[in-house]
Amino acid sequence: MRPLVSLVTWLKGLPRITVVTVSLFLFFGIFGPWIAPMDPSAQDLSLMGQGPSATHWLGTDHLGRDTLSRLMVAANTSLTSVGMVLAIAMTIGITMGTIAGYCRGWVEDLLMRLVDVGLSIPSLIISLAVIGIVGPGYWSMVFALALAWWPMSARISRAVAVSIMNKPHIEALRVLGASPLRIYFNHLLPGTIGSVMVYATADAGMAAIAVATLSFLGLGIQPPTPEWGQMLVDALPYLESDPRQVILPGLALTAAVIGFNTLGETIALNRVPKRLSRRQLLTRRMEVAGWHKETSDAA
Amino acid sequence: MKRRMFLQRSTAVIGASALGGLYPGILSAQAHENTLRIAISKAAGDLDLLKHYAIWAVQDLMFEPLVKYGKGGEIEPCLATDWSLEDGGTTLKLTLREGVTFQDGTPFDAAACKWNLERWMGTEKFEWMSCSKNFESVEMVDDYHVNIHFKAPVISLLQELSYTRPSRFVSPNAVDEEGNQVEPIGTGPWRQVSASEAENVFERYDGYWGEKPSYERLEAKVIPESRSRVAALRSGELDVIGGFWIAPLSPIEAKQLEDAGFTISVDPGNVTLVMGFNPDRSEALRDNRVRRAISLGVDREAVGKAFYHGYARPAGSLFSDVLPLSGQQFEAPARDVAAASALLEEAGWTGGPIRSKEGKPLSIEMVISPDAVPGLRIMSEVMQAQLKEIGIDIVIHSVDHATKHTEMLERKYDIGFFLTYGAPFDPFGTIVGLFLSTFKNDVEGKLYTDAEHLDPLINAAIDAKPEDTEAELQKFYDWLHDNDAIAPLLFVPGIWAHSDRVAGFTGPATEYDMPYENITLKA
Repeated sequence: MRPLVSLVTWLKGLPRITVVTVSLFLFFGIFGPWIAPMDPSAQDLSLMGQGPSATHWLGTDHLGRDTLSRLMVAANTSLTSVGMVLAIAMTIGITMGTIAGYCRGWVEDLLMRLVDVGLSIPSLIISLAVIGIVGPGYWSMVFALALAWWPMSARISRAVAVSIMNKPHIEALRVLGASPLRIYFNHLLPGTIGSVMVYATADAGMAAIAVATLSFLGLGIQPPTPEWGQMLVDALPYLESDPRQVILPGLALTAAVIGFNTLGETIALNRVPKRLSRRQLLTRRMEVAGWHKETSDAA
Repeated sequence: MKRRMFLQRSTAVIGASALGGLYPGILSAQAHENTLRIAISKAAGDLDLLKHYAIWAVQDLMFEPLVKYGKGGEIEPCLATDWSLEDGGTTLKLTLREGVTFQDGTPFDAAACKWNLERWMGTEKFEWMSCSKNFESVEMVDDYHVNIHFKAPVISLLQELSYTRPSRFVSPNAVDEEGNQVEPIGTGPWRQVSASEAENVFERYDGYWGEKPSYERLEAKVIPESRSRVAALRSGELDVIGGFWIAPLSPIEAKQLEDAGFTISVDPGNVTLVMGFNPDRSEALRDNRVRRAISLGVDREAVGKAFYHGYARPAGSLFSDVLPLSGQQFEAPARDVAAASALLEEAGWTGGPIRSKEGKPLSIEMVISPDAVPGLRIMSEVMQAQLKEIGIDIVIHSVDHATKHTEMLERKYDIGFFLTYGAPFDPFGTIVGLFLSTFKNDVEGKLYTDAEHLDPLINAAIDAKPEDTEAELQKFYDWLHDNDAIAPLLFVPGIWAHSDRVAGFTGPATEYDMPYENITLKA
């Protein structure tokens, strides 16, 4: 009961729009394939591009497939893909970042230069290059995006790991003769994962867009699996005659991205003991913007 | 300031601004009064007739052939007014049109004709053309009579002479000492005024020997994206868009333009979309019962409806009847789920929902490239759903245009899609290029080859006397049909749209010609 209460309290602290959109995304992402009213791939060419009706609540697409079912199952596709991409990217990033933060010295230099190289190339270019070599498909898309995504989490992990390693309790552990593995697995890794997960939450929206972009370009999810980006590109020729076909997947994607972005931002800004008021949040945002400016000026 | 004065002055200012805004529009309309503006999907490129880069339709504006490929494959006089084949088909006697000059004033005569033909005939680069491969010599009889001698009779000789390149004629003064074409100067009705990556501008050549266009200028504007072309037509920036190669217009865009009051012109099309099987990669496809089941399992009407919205005809034959020597037209197979399922059962593929044989599921990879064949993704999704109903699992593998060519050449597909070459190349262009195993095709790969059974039939058709060609070709068509070697799907239409400024528009005879003829422009 207590965890549930604390979850509800935590949720109450989040903006309502975030709670609604992320919850809907997660709900349809998990249960979409089971609760979809129709087979999302079942075609009925006599019903091509029909508007909403009692049978098809959100109408049908250009091949007479039920739009509502496709949107629901596409949430599952996006959630799975985004989850996989982030899981792989975070695993690589956290491993490299924590090793760099723990070892320091030439190991850190080497790993961080690798990260710099990764960060200097736009993620879409890396993804396109990887897909160009491996060929389009679900797993190549996940692999390509993960390769493009890991450097940022590596950099954050390294920063967090360095700060943890400088804390007095780590010093004490060393003095007491704790083994490097114990320090790494029991103290450094759990602390780093917690911080990087916040970044992952904010990044889920961008990853969803990347999945949709690759599918939009025909390089990601292959038919007949429904995916929002693919639904968008399929509907584009009908923008004028039936804008509904474009608007619906576009709205779903936008809502998911905004939801995750605001969730990530809220968690990041609320990582202080007391929840901030709106005014405090605004001040904090301006402060953060100032940091960014200072960093750019320094660079 | 009094209220009335304020209102008067405000009205005057607004009125002046509105007129000012309209002025460029009025100027623009006047500037385009005598100009046909037509879209091309990419820059026209190097217009050298001996290179392979330019848009054919742009070259068609300036350069003319000896004979022209007309509608239905009719060979019509152009720079040659008469011709005859003698010495068992090894000598072509040509009578050249008198009074023709190139756009730089150079006369087109036997010397210019000989010089042009000897630039490319008999060279290794153009060995892919029968007339070049079998070329022996050109003999000038007098100023307007030329004989071309060949080592052996040339199949589709007149068709080859109608090609846009290299067969057409350039002024000898437009070529430098190294043989490079420096200016695009032909005998055609249009003379190029300027060329850039954005547009090619032409003006009417008033010394043209034939019927001159009724308007003075033609602008070929480069707009790569289909929706932008549609928008440009709607806004009045363009007069004509469309064609399979020139500036493709998708069927749904055509429908939308039709609803918006634009005129749509649909040609029956002389290109066929064919489903090709690769028995070397897929064991299941070695059995012609499986190939037949796939052909029967596909509803061609529905496939055509999904993308072409009724503009495309279902195909049962390799070539449409608008092409010469296209043979007996086989009826497009109607979808028959029961018959397809029975064939698969007979072939040993049983069970469901996906059939299997000896524990192996009937899974077939379908390689598609929507960049290369517009609408293929939609059509493949329809086929995927239809074939699933008969227990075949189709795995769609979507690739870009460049990868498609590589995968087709390396035969990395179970089912692939091919387009026939269309007029003026067919039937022999496609037959030799896509079916003859001894002919190396480095671009599209092979649709189907069988050195033992198919090659002798093709060679017999190539070597046949003109009067026997049709019968020999029919044997080839029958073999393909009887063995379900391929599954023709649709005859791809040529779709055009034009504004109400354009009157008398007719689709070109081939997808490589520019449709400028017969057009009159309204003021």
